[in-house]
Amino acid sequence: MNANENQNNVVDATSRNIAQELQSTENPVSEFDSENTSLNRLPTSELMKRVSNMRKIDRFRWMLTEGCGNSNCDNENCVSSGKIKPLNPRDAAALALHLYHIRAKVCETSRGSKVPRTQSPTPLFTTLESTNLNFSNEGSESSAPEFKFLTENVVRAIVNTCQNESRYSLLVRTIMEIFSKTDKLAKSFLKIEQTQRFNDFTSRNLTVLEKETLRELEGETEKDVDSLQNSKISFDWSSEETQIDFFALRKSYQSVFQLPSHVFESSFIRALMLLAENTEMELKVELKGKLCNPEDVEKYVISFLIVFEMPAVGNPEYVDRALPQLCRAMSYLPYSALARICRVWARHCQNSFKNILELLHQLITARTIDNGDEKRRHLQDNVDIISATKVMKVLYYANALAGKMESPLNTKDEDYDNPEVDSKYSLFPDTDLRYSVYQGALFAEDPLAAELKIDLIDCIKPYIPFSEFYNEPLSDTIEMDKDYTNYKSAIRLETLGASSSRCDSKTVSDKFFSFMTHPFILTPATKTLGLFYDNRIRMYSERRICVLQSMNGDPPNPYLKLQVRRDHLIEDALMRLELLCYESPQDFKKQLMVEFEGEQGMDEGGISKEFFQLIVEEIFNPDYGMFTFNADSQICWFNSVSFENDSQYTLIGLIIGLAIYNNIILDVRFPMVVYKKLLGKKGTFNDLEDSNPVLYNSLKCLLEHQNNDVEEVYMQTFRISYRDPFGSIVYHDLLPDGDKISVTLCNKQQFVELYADFLLNKSIAKQFNAFRKGFRVVTDESPLKFLFRPEEIEILVCGSKNFNLKELQESTRYDGGYDSSSTIIKYFWEFAHSLSHINQRKLLQFTTGSDRVPVGGLSQLHMIIAKNGPDSDRLPTAHTCFNVLLLPEYSTKEKLHDRLMKAINYSKGFGML
Amino acid sequence: MAATRRLQKELNDMRVHGLKCFRDIQVDESNILSWTGLIVPENPPFNKGAFRIEINFPAEYPFKPPKINFKTKIYHPNIDEKGQVCLPIISAENWKPATKTDQVIQALVALVNDPEPEHPLRAELAEEYLKDRKKFFKLAEEYTKKHSEKRPAD
Repeated sequence: MNANENQNNVVDATSRNIAQELQSTENPVSEFDSENTSLNRLPTSELMKRVSNMRKIDRFRWMLTEGCGNSNCDNENCVSSGKIKPLNPRDAAALALHLYHIRAKVCETSRGSKVPRTQSPTPLFTTLESTNLNFSNEGSESSAPEFKFLTENVVRAIVNTCQNESRYSLLVRTIMEIFSKTDKLAKSFLKIEQTQRFNDFTSRNLTVLEKETLRELEGETEKDVDSLQNSKISFDWSSEETQIDFFALRKSYQSVFQLPSHVFESSFIRALMLLAENTEMELKVELKGKLCNPEDVEKYVISFLIVFEMPAVGNPEYVDRALPQLCRAMSYLPYSALARICRVWARHCQNSFKNILELLHQLITARTIDNGDEKRRHLQDNVDIISATKVMKVLYYANALAGKMESPLNTKDEDYDNPEVDSKYSLFPDTDLRYSVYQGALFAEDPLAAELKIDLIDCIKPYIPFSEFYNEPLSDTIEMDKDYTNYKSAIRLETLGASSSRCDSKTVSDKFFSFMTHPFILTPATKTLGLFYDNRIRMYSERRICVLQSMNGDPPNPYLKLQVRRDHLIEDALMRLELLCYESPQDFKKQLMVEFEGEQGMDEGGISKEFFQLIVEEIFNPDYGMFTFNADSQICWFNSVSFENDSQYTLIGLIIGLAIYNNIILDVRFPMVVYKKLLGKKGTFNDLEDSNPVLYNSLKCLLEHQNNDVEEVYMQTFRISYRDPFGSIVYHDLLPDGDKISVTLCNKQQFVELYADFLLNKSIAKQFNAFRKGFRVVTDESPLKFLFRPEEIEILVCGSKNFNLKELQESTRYDGGYDSSSTIIKYFWEFAHSLSHINQRKLLQFTTGSDRVPVGGLSQLHMIIAKNGPDSDRLPTAHTCFNVLLLPEYSTKEKLHDRLMKAINYSKGFGML
Repeated sequence: MAATRRLQKELNDMRVHGLKCFRDIQVDESNILSWTGLIVPENPPFNKGAFRIEINFPAEYPFKPPKINFKTKIYHPNIDEKGQVCLPIISAENWKPATKTDQVIQALVALVNDPEPEHPLRAELAEEYLKDRKKFFKLAEEYTKKHSEKRPAD
């Protein structure tokens, strides 16, 4: 401290000069921005702080080049100590900066009043104007510009210079300088005029380059100021556009990353750690309270966008140290800013998704494994994991946005929360099945989704599959009971907070972080566990009440008991459950216990499993008339002309809900759209792809038909026809007097939408609403809807789509000279069993045209493998119509492998003639 | 009637313009979704007779493809004993709603005229066709004479 004061006194005279110098550093184009003084000119106190900072840095530099002069010096960063060799000025400058930032020890100078600053023939910090930018001048002391921000050209120029000299200190210093400061980073890589971007500097000699760079810098500063001003006027939070020139940014990263990694990686890491640290502080402290102001946050948004666009850094330090800090800092952004990052990512950075996701996974996995060492420490308390998960959520939403989304208008199902519909359609009691007591705050909508105004169920196809977001180590390690407790606590606090004071929901979610609010990272199996706890806790609370009741004299009944007769299964189940709906719908939350009349046996799960299987078998049997079954697509659908009353459908809805609730897997074959509809969405044209692929493809052809002859080619009107389950043809007018309205180029979209709406919603509305009602009676209070995506619910209901290849092998027949003992057949099965699950599915798809397992398992496929001539180079082919695989008698095992792999991987569609 | 408008037109067009290889189109007045007709192949060994086929159109036609069945027995690598034929143009995967029935018929006739042993439904016939063409022709001709219908006079 003494030394500092000393210096301050001594250099008082010079400091004014330096201050002026600095000011011009900050304002290399001060003549341009006279009207923008407030923006660029710093307050004097700030200025003085900087001056002193720079002086400190210079002291480090001087220590590194000349030493403090003390022969007994023991500072490892001082030349005088002998622990470090004198560095060349450039490296010294970079290191000095680093030492300053890590607050390394400074030697007390023995030369007392001799301030390094004044000694230095060329100061470390010079203005752009005074610098001759002579990068290549080896002899002179370090003299390079301090950049206010970076552009593609500047980066390239720096990289080139460094490469030519084989010295990288300039690059290192620039990275340190720019990437550690939000203000500078946020001004970098902004959009400039096209012509400038494409200027190729690389071929020019350095002198020209320097001038160009200089001039460009000046020009850009001016523009930068302009654009900043403009953006202030019309700043749009919900915009997906940014001022970042991603093209230039990527180019810049490219040019840096082609250098040997040891040159720049560590400086990136150090810079980013600083950046993150500062950002976190600023967001946490300074900006608290005014975070809602877009202009204040935008610079952080930009700097995060720039940082996350960085290509993969191989250095483990990055994932280990920089990334967690960055994530933590980012999680302090308000949701509005996160939503903005999300939008920009979705629009501009799709190619980086994989990289970012990969890094986040690495971080989470590493921390999860480390976490294991510290017993009693929950993953939910690990800040790094939490913040990385939060960043991943932003990416998750961006990934959905970047994919194919359905317009929410198309999928809104008015019937979903409409009590009238339910009472109208169901013969089930008018007892209020209290799912309308939808405890709104209980499972609040995700704040980010709310900010983005999207619903993930509307995502038809994400940019990268949602399953890539599962983190298995985390899912395996996580203690779901703890997570569930946190989840509940957060909800409770939030509900309290909402009623009492405006509680900051972000703080609550930090205190009680729960992965259940970030379900994308958990595998379905782990989420099932979460659901299980929810179920069990409610079951137990039901039981507790029962015990209390028993004290009052009421008979205790901790289970939901179902007594049925085997030969009157449906009637009995229906009657009992219907009664239950009248009397005590809350009983559905109890653990199920089934008793077959006249049979002994306690239900420890096995009997209820059998009960479910029997009832599903019977109800889904097409002969029963409630559901139809399409043999080609292996799909069940609601019978729109069923004679059964709605309570039967309510029953099956109940059964499916109970099965989820009691962890029982059922053999039902609904298309995905059913699960989507269960979650309150309507089916749309896109859902036909799964439930009715042939029709989907044809309608797509119609949509793609661009000529004006739609009427002549299709001769289709708005009256459609279909065959009902009894074989008679039924007509339906999609519009009033549909048979008089031709489908034309103009109205074909409407036709397709109406057609799909009719098939997926309207025609089965009565049956489906009853079905969904039953489902919701059981599941509505559980977090099911918030934990699972429709495809995951399918897994919950039907189990994973694993299949037993052995079954297929045993049922396969052979033709054309093959039999089960033929060498090639042996090779074939050996190969088929060795395939990955995905490839086995592909093989199934290739041979049968569908990767769905038929009812009753793979043995029902009756696959035929037929000989298709002697050894040849031809690929195997298949008759999907008859499940025939045509296999030439390949001469070697290797050839068989090769041909089969080619066939199953490159055969989209039919294309054999 | 919805699907039938186009079908009616296709039927009329075919009756008026007449395909040489597809004759005697008969449609039940009450059900236009089911046609029968005679395939009259050009190439030996099938040019010794005519083959009755049945075309069944789905109610959703043209958004779903028609199905074709041979009513007459035929000795052909691509048509099985039950009369089923695997015709890519009307397979579920490949079906294009703009495809007209006469195109389907032409594809079918082409397949009958020139068997595709590379994608057989009856592997043994395909092998015979490839290895011993003479034998295949002989047997196919005999089979045709025995089972097929008479060719139309003109």
